[in-house]
Amino acid sequence: MNTLGPLLEILTHRLADTPVEFLAEPRIAGVANAQAVAVAALVNDIVLLHGARAPATSLQGFIGAQVKADRNRLALAMILCWLLADEWFIGQQLPQHDLLQVLGEAARELAASTPAHQFTQDPERREELARIVLARLGFRPRDESVAQATDRLSAISGTERRRLLEASRLAEQRSREIREALAKKAAEESADKWSRE
Amino acid sequence: MTLAGKPDVNLPGGAWASDRDYCPTLTPAGARMLAKLRSHPCAPWYRNRSGNKLLAGEVEALRVYEQEVMDAVVAWSAAAPPSWLPDFLKVTYATVPHYRACGSPPSRLADVAPISRAELAHDIAAFVPDDADLARMINFQTTGTTGHPLLIASHPLVAGRYRAFHKRALRRFGVILRHGAGQVGVMLLGHQRRCFTYVSVTPTMNESGLAKINLHPDDWREPDDRARYLDAMAPELIAGDPISFAELLTLPMTHKPAALLSVSMMLLPGMRARLEQRFGCPVLDIYSLNEVGPVAVYDERAGGHVLLQHRLYVEILDSAGQPVPDGARGEITVTGGFNFCLPLVRYRTGDYASLAHGPDGPVLAGLAGRSPLRYRTAQGQWINNIDITHALKPLAIALFGVHQHGDGSVALRLAPGAMPQADQARALLAPFFGVVTVETLLAEDKIIQYTSDLREAAV
Repeated sequence: MNTLGPLLEILTHRLADTPVEFLAEPRIAGVANAQAVAVAALVNDIVLLHGARAPATSLQGFIGAQVKADRNRLALAMILCWLLADEWFIGQQLPQHDLLQVLGEAARELAASTPAHQFTQDPERREELARIVLARLGFRPRDESVAQATDRLSAISGTERRRLLEASRLAEQRSREIREALAKKAAEESADKWSRE
Repeated sequence: MTLAGKPDVNLPGGAWASDRDYCPTLTPAGARMLAKLRSHPCAPWYRNRSGNKLLAGEVEALRVYEQEVMDAVVAWSAAAPPSWLPDFLKVTYATVPHYRACGSPPSRLADVAPISRAELAHDIAAFVPDDADLARMINFQTTGTTGHPLLIASHPLVAGRYRAFHKRALRRFGVILRHGAGQVGVMLLGHQRRCFTYVSVTPTMNESGLAKINLHPDDWREPDDRARYLDAMAPELIAGDPISFAELLTLPMTHKPAALLSVSMMLLPGMRARLEQRFGCPVLDIYSLNEVGPVAVYDERAGGHVLLQHRLYVEILDSAGQPVPDGARGEITVTGGFNFCLPLVRYRTGDYASLAHGPDGPVLAGLAGRSPLRYRTAQGQWINNIDITHALKPLAIALFGVHQHGDGSVALRLAPGAMPQADQARALLAPFFGVVTVETLLAEDKIIQYTSDLREAAV
């Protein structure tokens, strides 16, 4: 975060204005949608915009194979493509490795627990995403010191992470309780239906 | 001693004291109804306990729901899907763990990857919404014929809602149920070696009686008691499957119910005609699934099964998950439903039909369970299993299976009671296959109706 980046508001406004094309469905094997976006191709375009080249092997991870594992991650990668196409980022001509790290790893981590489109719809999530992208690329918001940027990133991101960890714990507990609740009922004792399938 | 003051010869010890556990709003009149069902001298051995489990507020909510269902219009199409769909998707993606893990709600239903029974069987908890009340949760269990046993998360209100859709189906045939206090409303039939049997009351109909009985003679003191009991209880409605109805046809009962409801497996027109003639009432063929509840009722005038649920959207998908045009056959895939413990999004039912739209709303035409299969005729042509169903329509049989062996020979399996119709069945299939072997079908439950050893049979 040693290098000054753009004003944070520029990035959060850009996220808020994400075009519908970047909020469309990512292409996933087995899901019938001719209009779905080939995210690997989109990522390749962004890397080219930055004057770099992505070897085919590094794009493999952007080909959707399973809805549950890939849809949200790829949807977020599409939003990140839009963000990284901002003229300030293009002006930096970012290295291929850094771009792929943000589009791949950062997207994977964030998508594990937050619906991708919330990063465009929710002000706090927009700020979180803008700050994380800047930090991963070694930048900080233009009007902030390193200490301020570090504090704000850890505050917004840390609170969210704790919330998500707690949510994940509660989800696992509920899942267990549902299975137990169903298992302990004797099937046919459930309740009257006027017919049995 | 029982509530009726008679020795408790008919129940596990202590059962009488716990009726309110199963029927929380039970009144003395309701208790008398239970006693009437249990203590009649011709009553079967009721082997189990169950009940409506409804709380007072829920009984009122069900009355309101029934009115909503009766008043609803089902009139969507693929071009104009129902208005509730977008909100349903939004809420489901926010509150159901499986969908939450898939990310943001999609803008189009077509962008949702369909799920099937296997996903529900793998982890049903992932499909239960965050706000479902575990304390009141119940389950419906189904083994099916696909090898994926399922525990369906449900609720007493959901079980109670079945009635609304059955009433809607009955209204199509001019039947308005009128039973109330002191009368037996519904008798559910089984005909199996082992069957869950119990008595209950229906609080939304002033505690009319409900009984699930097993027509198998082992469950009765005397086989003749079956007809005597049915006549004495005089249920307004009898529900069952074609197997239990085939047995019902053998009983000398004189009572005429207002209607018969057939669920669970295909009801051939010949069987329906015999039942209608015998009982002088409409016989409804309901397409119903544990996962979805009553989906549709067959109405010949409408050209197929007319949809019953106003908050259930139906698509017909091909094997790649693409919607097929109206009129083309494919897998029935449903979204929505009335089970708030298990909201479904593009759930592949495993059953096949085509969809048509007409004055009766959406209609499932040519409904058949399981995936379609081809049969090779004696002339070397291929015909679909639906052609066999059509050919066998004149038979009054409850259940059959057709298997094609690797050498092309065909075996027709009929239940023992249907064997007198074997010659007619052979004649109906002869144009396709020449000589057909007829075997006795010993299964007492659902079977896979159409099977083949030929590799090219799958379509």
